[in-house]
Amino acid sequence: MLGGSGSGKSTLIKLILGLLRPDAGTILVDGEDITLCDEQELTEIRKKIGMVFQEGALFDSLSVYDNVAYRLTEEGIDEDEIEHEVIRMLRFVDLEDAIDKMPIELSGGMRRRVGIARALVGSPSIVLFDEPTAGLDPPTARTICELAIKLRDLEGVSSIFVTHEMNNLKYLTSEYAIVDSEGEVFFEEEGDKLCLINTKVMMIKQGDIIFDGTDEELKLSSDPYIHRFIRGR
Amino acid sequence: MNPVSRFLVELQDITLLFWRMLRGFRKQPRYFDEMVRQMDSIGVGSLAIVSLTGFFTGGVLILQAYPTLEYYGAQSSAGQSVAITLIRELGPVLCALMVAGRVGSAISAELGSMVVSQQIDAMRALGTSPARKLVTPRIVALIVTLPLLTVAADIFGLFGGGVVAYYLYGLDSNSYITSLRMGITIEDILGGIVKPIVFGFIIGLISCHKGLTTQGGTVGVGRSTTDAVVLSSITVIIADFFLSKVLQGFFWEYAFLGRILDVRNRNSCGRAGNDLNGNTGDRVSERRSCFR
Ligand SMILES: Nc1ncnc2c1ncn2[C@@H]1O[C@H](COP(=O)(O)OP(=O)(O)OP(=O)(O)O)[C@@H](O)[C@H]1O
Ligand SMILES: [Mg+2]
Repeated sequence: MLGGSGSGKSTLIKLILGLLRPDAGTILVDGEDITLCDEQELTEIRKKIGMVFQEGALFDSLSVYDNVAYRLTEEGIDEDEIEHEVIRMLRFVDLEDAIDKMPIELSGGMRRRVGIARALVGSPSIVLFDEPTAGLDPPTARTICELAIKLRDLEGVSSIFVTHEMNNLKYLTSEYAIVDSEGEVFFEEEGDKLCLINTKVMMIKQGDIIFDGTDEELKLSSDPYIHRFIRGR
Repeated sequence: MNPVSRFLVELQDITLLFWRMLRGFRKQPRYFDEMVRQMDSIGVGSLAIVSLTGFFTGGVLILQAYPTLEYYGAQSSAGQSVAITLIRELGPVLCALMVAGRVGSAISAELGSMVVSQQIDAMRALGTSPARKLVTPRIVALIVTLPLLTVAADIFGLFGGGVVAYYLYGLDSNSYITSLRMGITIEDILGGIVKPIVFGFIIGLISCHKGLTTQGGTVGVGRSTTDAVVLSSITVIIADFFLSKVLQGFFWEYAFLGRILDVRNRNSCGRAGNDLNGNTGDRVSERRSCFR
């Protein structure tokens, strides 16, 4: 999902999660209209959704470990299993060393990464990323895109990825992940052999969807706003 | 919005919060650990201030009442006068006010900051109900600990009264204790326990509600903290009046006979105050038997 600052991307994400209520319209999650659900039913639906908040929104009175473990602890899962899973997720976002720190002791980017780990723990089938790469260095941003690609291609996770950065858009719409016979994960560019069709681009302007289609269509679009957005001038 | 509809909306929100909190008991997880943690920080943490409040309140009651009692020659009912005021009214109310100030503000500031920093949203996003996880344990902790704190305040208050009576007015500690025991009735004690249960509930519900409905950043947190303390204090005091009235009516049926005899006894005890030997002891046991 693309869109300028203040165009309503975060708002849309919050609507999908049921954190905000729409005045009109319907929102379907796995075919179920969540605008008709009460808070308790929403809580059940949210259990299959992972959300990366733009501002991190970590629990500041809990350590990094407890933040990431939150969902599993709530579900009453075995402590050993939780620890195993938390360490795996933190290794994934390269924050194993920060496991006992408090959120206040982390940098902005580190907090974002903890937020990602927290959203992905427990393998949700839907993941909402609200600008997960903002404020991160290019290699880390790339890692996060790779993560989203892996979730998409290897684990069958549906996700919405909000971003401003054209790099991210390129990664997400032109690369796919495959596993070779030894179980190693590779990323390959789409090309003559294969064209990626499982990713669509949507653009929002002032709360309206002004574009909905593939990345190739986006590049060919004649809308001057979209043109400016892609080129950056 | 005009004040009336604002009040109604607020009342609706509080009722809904109460309803969600009740549902928190019914389903897993029940967050017992969290309840114990809250009881520790709310109950044990408030013990010192509540005891001090009780001690000096009891002290000042005797300090002010004693000269008057002495004027009527009723020094020996000093204990009784402290006991009735303290256990029926001042103990529960002062204790609730102290806890509203210390705990109510803490609760609404904590929940308010969590709202402002989107932590409540994050909690909902992770599939937990804030009402169940945050509100229920706090209210349960308040309901459990406030009566206990009140008892502590009462005991320290009676002790404080005794200290003042003994050291400042030279009242014999035996006669103080005897008259204390005469002053305290079963309905006083029951009323003194029922009230803080209701107060704890009021403080918890209002503070949680104010915290969770915080709007507008850091200033909003300050505003909801103030609101929580002011609103819960006022509600406690108003509820105290009606509760006293209800309890009076309630106990009237139970102790109809006892109370008539009780009043008669109390009068005679007051008058018999000067010859405090043997006689009063009989009267105490006589009065007790009235209650059985
Ligand atoms: N809590 C709120 N109350 C009122 N208006 C809001 C609130 N949150 C956001 N808005 C408004 O909604 C619009 C969309 O905001 P939103 O946060 O969705 O933008 P965004 O696309 O995520 O921007 P960014 O890329 O900067 O994160 C903005 O005009 C904003 O002022
Ligand atoms: Mg945003």
